[in-house]
Amino acid sequence: MQGYGDGGDELAQLLSTMHAIEAACSSIQMHVNPAAAEATILALSQSHHPYKTCQFILENSKVANARFQAAGAVRDAAIREWGFLSSDDRRNLISFCLCFALQHADSHESYVQAKVSSVAAQLIKRGWLDFSADEKEQFFYQIKQATLGTHGLNVQFIGIGIMEYLISEFSPSTSSAMGLPKEFHEQCRRSLELDYLKVFYGWARDASLNVSRKIAGSDSESLEVKVCNAGMCLMLQILTWEFRYNHNGTKSINIFSAGVRNDNVLNNKTECILVQPGPAWHDILISSGDIVWLLNLYAVLRQKFSIERSWIDCPIAVSARKLIVQFCSVTGTIFPSANGSQENYLVQLLSGIILWVEPIDAISKEIESGKSESELLDGCRALLAMATVTTPAVFNSLLKSIRPFGTLTLLSTLMGGVIKVLFSHNNEEETWSWEARDILLDIWTTLLAPLDSSGSGISFPPEGAAAAAHLFDLIVNSELKAASASVYNDDSDSDYLQPSISAMDERLSSYALIARASMDVTVPFLARLFAERVSHLHQGKGISDPTETLEELCSLLLIIGHVLADEGEGETPLIPDSVKRNFSDILEPDKHPVILLSSIIIRFAEQSLDPGLRTSFFSPRLMEAVIWFLSRWSATYLLTREEFNNKNDGSLPGSRHQLQSQDSTKTVAIYFSEYNYGKLVLDAVVRISIITFTAYPGENYLQGLACHQLLHALVRQKNICVHLVALESWRELSNAFANEKMLFMLNASHQRSLAQTLVLSASGLGNSEAANQYVRDVMGHMTKYLVDVSSRNDIRSISEQPDTILSITCLLERLRGAARASEPRTQKSIYEMGLSVLNAILVLLEVYKDESSVVYLLLKFVVVWVDAQITYLEATETATIIGFCMRLLQLYSSHNIGKISLSFSSSLLNDAKTEKYKDLRALLQLLSALCFKDLVDFSSDSIETQGTNVSQVVFYGLHIVTPLISLELLKYPKLCHDYFSLLSHMLEVYPEMVGQLNTEAFSHVMDTLNFGIHHQDSEVVNMCLRALKALASYQYKETAAGKVGLGSHASDPRNPNGGTENRIFGRFLRELLQFLLFEDYSPDLVGSAADALFPLILCEQSLYQMLGNELIERQANPTFRLRLTTALQFLTSANQLTSMLDRVNYQRFRKNLTNFLIEVRGFLQTK
Amino acid sequence: MSDEEHHFESKADAGASKTYPQQAGTIRKNGYIVIKNRPCKVVEVSTSKTGKHGHAKCHFVGIDIFNGKKLEDIVPSSHNCDVPHVTRIDYQLIDISEDGFVSLLTDSGGTKDDLRLPTDESLLAQIKDGFAEGKDLVVSVMSSMGEEQICGLKDIGPK
Repeated sequence: MQGYGDGGDELAQLLSTMHAIEAACSSIQMHVNPAAAEATILALSQSHHPYKTCQFILENSKVANARFQAAGAVRDAAIREWGFLSSDDRRNLISFCLCFALQHADSHESYVQAKVSSVAAQLIKRGWLDFSADEKEQFFYQIKQATLGTHGLNVQFIGIGIMEYLISEFSPSTSSAMGLPKEFHEQCRRSLELDYLKVFYGWARDASLNVSRKIAGSDSESLEVKVCNAGMCLMLQILTWEFRYNHNGTKSINIFSAGVRNDNVLNNKTECILVQPGPAWHDILISSGDIVWLLNLYAVLRQKFSIERSWIDCPIAVSARKLIVQFCSVTGTIFPSANGSQENYLVQLLSGIILWVEPIDAISKEIESGKSESELLDGCRALLAMATVTTPAVFNSLLKSIRPFGTLTLLSTLMGGVIKVLFSHNNEEETWSWEARDILLDIWTTLLAPLDSSGSGISFPPEGAAAAAHLFDLIVNSELKAASASVYNDDSDSDYLQPSISAMDERLSSYALIARASMDVTVPFLARLFAERVSHLHQGKGISDPTETLEELCSLLLIIGHVLADEGEGETPLIPDSVKRNFSDILEPDKHPVILLSSIIIRFAEQSLDPGLRTSFFSPRLMEAVIWFLSRWSATYLLTREEFNNKNDGSLPGSRHQLQSQDSTKTVAIYFSEYNYGKLVLDAVVRISIITFTAYPGENYLQGLACHQLLHALVRQKNICVHLVALESWRELSNAFANEKMLFMLNASHQRSLAQTLVLSASGLGNSEAANQYVRDVMGHMTKYLVDVSSRNDIRSISEQPDTILSITCLLERLRGAARASEPRTQKSIYEMGLSVLNAILVLLEVYKDESSVVYLLLKFVVVWVDAQITYLEATETATIIGFCMRLLQLYSSHNIGKISLSFSSSLLNDAKTEKYKDLRALLQLLSALCFKDLVDFSSDSIETQGTNVSQVVFYGLHIVTPLISLELLKYPKLCHDYFSLLSHMLEVYPEMVGQLNTEAFSHVMDTLNFGIHHQDSEVVNMCLRALKALASYQYKETAAGKVGLGSHASDPRNPNGGTENRIFGRFLRELLQFLLFEDYSPDLVGSAADALFPLILCEQSLYQMLGNELIERQANPTFRLRLTTALQFLTSANQLTSMLDRVNYQRFRKNLTNFLIEVRGFLQTK
Repeated sequence: MSDEEHHFESKADAGASKTYPQQAGTIRKNGYIVIKNRPCKVVEVSTSKTGKHGHAKCHFVGIDIFNGKKLEDIVPSSHNCDVPHVTRIDYQLIDISEDGFVSLLTDSGGTKDDLRLPTDESLLAQIKDGFAEGKDLVVSVMSSMGEEQICGLKDIGPK
């Protein structure tokens, strides 16, 4: 890179290239032959040492685009040729870029400057590990001078820009690709964070600070403002850096920092990112008093620009506010423990922020009349950040030094103001009040959620409770107003309750948290509101339209359901802690607010049993809300187990206070227990469910809610089942289900669920005989009908009648439901139930071979039934089932192989594909269920006594099913999952059977395994690896013992004479190494990959050597080459690894592989 | 409730009927339904309500099983819909005539000669080619509401 221009030829050459590039740039802009133009530009960046040309273009071209492209070419070429450049060249390139960017700072084409700055940043990073500290110092000296404003504002602006590019290059998530090991990027990041980041922050701060003094006198477009804004953006960027190397570590919780919460549990819930730079930053962030300066700056901005309305959204105001919010999230070890420094710091911030949100009424009025809402929203975000880093008590006390009330009161007032505006807009989405409400609710959740879950650990200030009660009052009243107003808008989304619940769920749970902060006020309040609405309904009966009141009741039921009970999410929810905290002194049941509120609602629900009241009030939607409430409520309160009795004998390490508080929960629990009103309420719940089946024809959604949620949840608890089976109403239900046609009108899947529920309730009966008899009584008629139909002579002609199809569909669904409810106690009767229809099933499978929906139901029933039964069966029974499954498989495959269907419509064809997939999946599940017999077997004798060999059957099944499974079908995730779990299970348990597969089936199995290893789902990969391990270790052990192992299969069947290339295990060894070294995968897979790799290496030792050598030779860098060689050696020799396939060796190899990957993946994988 | 319309015990002579009434709420996707007097396969069922506190109604999208046209209908979910009686019979293919008719072997040993070749090109080609190669082909004939059509093909030829 000598100076240019010394020879006329050379100058001519440079000029001609420049003109060519300029021409190319302008032709791209005008869309004239863009391909050729792009090729010209590409040629420049791909040419050898194009730096001189590029510099010439940068300095001389008048076309900005050409300069831009030249800068890009410098970057591409330098990154590519970096290794061959002399260190002088490298330095000169960087200096040139820096100087160029800074010298042309006042140019109008700022994008060229930006590009050159970014090139400089990338080159600095590229050489980061090679440059000495002095060399880096030289670059940074230049940048520092520029940044601090020594050369004027324009240069300062560019200087700050270069720093921004630098930081984003060094942060792994935003860095650009350089084709270098990931290790390199990580080293750069570490070095920058430890040695430079704080220094950079200092420059950015100084730059903004110096300029900000002049801002007061300049207008919003001036250069000073621009520079100040850039400086603040840079500070913000540094504060959002993901700090990793803060010396004390973030994970160690400092238990001494009083009142400052360090739990990271909450962080993911809110959008607020915590800034935890560590103690080294204390001087520059905290004690420097930056926040004072920043708040003052913002105050000046406010005053200065308050005449223009749009100032709030001008860039400098926005970044100042963002920076302030970011300062609120600073936490962790940066604050010395136990001296309240974080509180003081937050109070300081709050004193500035409070002006943004107070007084809310005036502010919201201004916003409504056109002022921007961003300041208010940022204020809310700052409060959220503060709530995240403090406890509720500390949070509340922050404001007390500035105002006569606490922060929680401010929060309540603030939210009240926002909600008033929100509901005056009819709950429209995406208004500012909507957003503000969501942020404020997040704050409440952040403050209250740990209180609700952990109980006594954190206390909530009394002032907060009062504020919460007040706020809840406002929220509920607003929601009710919104509900009654929404009755007449034809928004079809909200017609059903469930969608509206899930849309509102997050909001409702936040409401519930707020209500629970002061239950002594909110529960009686809710009871009053509900009673008022009900009496209003009765007064207006027949006179006025009740719809508005109905909607209000729906809304109240949702809110009350959330306040009183938690969602179980599959587990039995407990009575919320706040119930016991708030009512610890109330022991008389008829005064307990929770009991009073529950009773009011249950009494109201019972009114739906009266036909007259039902038709006038209980619309399907209101019934949905009632059923929803009953299921949520009864899971928590109804007939709960009397654990309280046992717990309370004083042996618990509880204080007196705790005992007392448990007494209060006990009051509620006992009231709804079997000794009191529990049974009556249960009876009412069952009767109300029956009503939804009989009195609401065609209301699928409502009936589904009653089947799947309410009844299903009831029978999950054994203590409830005991009472259920004794109820007259329950007997009515099971009678109706068994004998009456009416319940055939329910949706088929509801019938399935109902059958399951009824059979499950048998567990409440005293002995096994009674339980089995109960199941027979419920299911007997149905099996008889199926047997009768299937044995009729005219089965073919009647089978196609829609009514026959309907009955058979319903019955199969019911049988499937019953089979799903198998329990040891009822196993016998359910086995008999299935056994009696086996023949019928084969007949129906034949008859309905073209009716795919019936075929699917038949398969599905068999799968569920076999799955539930197989482990209990005796040898003869197993033989029967296995024989039956065999016939089923043969029949199915004879119907489906070679079949072509025609359809005019592509959507019908797609449906047909989906149906086929579902069928196959069912068959795979059936095979897996059969396999299970070999693992878990509760029968008294071994199945071998009957000469049944499960593995043979399953492999036979696999022979039948595999031709139907194409790689295309494996794209269905569930099918794929089932297929591979079956495959890995079979290969693990019966590897010897693989050798007996025919060539076609074997190669199909291998192809699918290969497909599975590259699957995205790590569980599928894991299963494939397990299968591979099993196969390879089997092969190794067999061949070591002098046997054939997989024999001819071990070489690729399609090319049996090929060399090592074509050996099955060689192919997998290659694939697996490639996968481990170069691809991205979850670290969880390393263990199972090691288990598969180890036997593979042993099987194919010579190939492994060859692959290892190949890898080493491909490494150009001598250091890496050495590291790789040593690592490869260690992989197979460290930890006294021997070539025995036993547990110890597998463990050793796992360790070796992990170390190996840690060592080499850093440089083998590139970015 | 319309209990009487539900035939739990099927009558032997009911095969003569072309359609059956069934409550709209019980008709599922992949079932059949009559829309605008055409037999359809249901490809989509959705439900909605008549106003917030009103009753449910079902919205069906069906595809005509003979001509593939899409049809839609809305029915209150407690009301009845007509469900067509759809039958499928397999016949062995004996001959293809010049004018596009096929000759099929019935169960009773007679022949059925009144059906045309399908218009679907891929199926048509498979039938013609398979027949020309001398394969044993079984065609599946679908009929409903007085119409019938070849809808599928299976090669049962030499194993």
